[in-house]
Amino acid sequence: MDEPELLLDSNIRLWVVLPIVFITFLVGVIRHYVSILLQSDKKLTLEQVSDSQVLIRSRILRENGKYIPKQSFLMRKFYFNNQEDGFFKKTKRKVVPPSPMTDPSMLTDMMKGNVTNVLPMILIGGWINWTFSGFVTTKVPFPLTLRFKPMLQQGIELLSLDASWVSSASWYFLNVFGLRSMYSLILGQDNGADQSRIMQEQMSGAAMAMPADTNKAFKAEWEALELTDHQWALEGVEEELMSRELDLDGMFSKELPTGIF
Amino acid sequence: MASVSEMYDVTWEEMRDKLRKWREDNHRNSEQIVDVGEELINEHASKLGDDIWIIYEQVMIAALDCSRDDLAWTCLQELKRQFPGSQRVKRLAGMRLEALEKYEDASKQYDSILQDDPTNTAARKRKISILKAQGKSAEAIRELNEYLEQFVGDQEAWHELSELYINEHDYGKAAFCLEELMMTNPHNHLYCEQYAEVKYTQGGLENLELSRKYFAQALKLNNRNMRALFGLYMSASHIAASPKVNATVKKSNVKYAAWATNQINRAYQLAGRGTKENKCSVKAVEEMLESMQITMS
Repeated sequence: MDEPELLLDSNIRLWVVLPIVFITFLVGVIRHYVSILLQSDKKLTLEQVSDSQVLIRSRILRENGKYIPKQSFLMRKFYFNNQEDGFFKKTKRKVVPPSPMTDPSMLTDMMKGNVTNVLPMILIGGWINWTFSGFVTTKVPFPLTLRFKPMLQQGIELLSLDASWVSSASWYFLNVFGLRSMYSLILGQDNGADQSRIMQEQMSGAAMAMPADTNKAFKAEWEALELTDHQWALEGVEEELMSRELDLDGMFSKELPTGIF
Repeated sequence: MASVSEMYDVTWEEMRDKLRKWREDNHRNSEQIVDVGEELINEHASKLGDDIWIIYEQVMIAALDCSRDDLAWTCLQELKRQFPGSQRVKRLAGMRLEALEKYEDASKQYDSILQDDPTNTAARKRKISILKAQGKSAEAIRELNEYLEQFVGDQEAWHELSELYINEHDYGKAAFCLEELMMTNPHNHLYCEQYAEVKYTQGGLENLELSRKYFAQALKLNNRNMRALFGLYMSASHIAASPKVNATVKKSNVKYAAWATNQINRAYQLAGRGTKENKCSVKAVEEMLESMQITMS
């Protein structure tokens, strides 16, 4: 059976659809600037900086150790991995797991995150729902099952209405996610209004870098370095070099750059 | 005196872009920067917008190099006004004190930066350069070593340390620093070549072999490195001339040296192409290489 197309009042387009877009966008921009204002400085301790650089150095040693002579490579490997006083064996960092309760700065960060992001969304979603309720706002271009009806048709009590017709609240949520790319266009990358990025960060942040990691990172590096062997990249370098003539083309060009420009 | 824009017929945008290029490539052509930058600041300050602050910084450092205290002072004042309490500006103030040889005051300035922020690498490095400027190279080496213990990844510092060690003729330690640089920049032919030179200077059969290998590596990375080519020739001929090597090693080294000679000749032929001066240089190179051959065999 062909569903009869509903004809919506054009006033809806003028007074509902567009205002919701503007409201969402402006709220996003305000959120971005508020998050900048509330941003607390992340201060790194000397030890953290130092440790991260040591880890980088060890990784470079593993990857590019083949460019230095064997003796030098072994010297450095010994420095890191020696049984008694190798760096990775000897150094134990004090580990303070930053649970939200004990670490006050983490707590305030979480609170700020919540305030700037979740709270406005809930408030404005609710306000829009209350203001623009009781009518159908728009139609999503793909068919939906009946399951979506209570979710997307908040104020509309029509059992026979196709689930593709949605209320203003769902249009609002559609906007929140859809305007993400607009934000990156206007506010530049890394903006505070990017909702989903923040949620992603929250999820991955829980799984990742906490200071307990330093000791674990050291252990992982130690293992990796133990396994690394030295394959000198320069074994046959002369033969490779002399297999053909040097490419001296264009070495002596007649024009020398003079002056500044 | 004609302004830069008149002499070269460029617009202020081109001047600004040129300054940005110099900034990104870390050029130290201070006189040019002062010429271009001073004109930009005086004539086109309003058009530059927010770019002007970083240009102030760039021009100030160049002005200190050229002993233009007046210009440096103006730049510093503008920056202090715009960014009061900034550590980056404090560092610039310290650099100005260094340029005036007021090392005590400069040192105090850097200490105050470090009190606020112990991870500030710029202030530490400036303190080390004060020691270097005062000629206290042993202390500078010690401080730089301590700095590098904390910040192992600072390549600029490793290079500086290798230079200090070379000046003290401590070639073993200089080689260590250059190894760090080679590891982090495996495609940079200049580090390979410098390392090879240090090994060559250290002397001894093993080091000569290493130096020959690294000269070859530098050439492989950049076929046009003439210094590496000459280095390859000299290290190969040295090994071949040494009495301690066996016949096969001697033969292969003679082969390397001969190949290097050919390449040098080729390069000089390419450079020459018939002009009178170059004909003399080509001849001189040939004679030099022949004389080396004679002393060898």
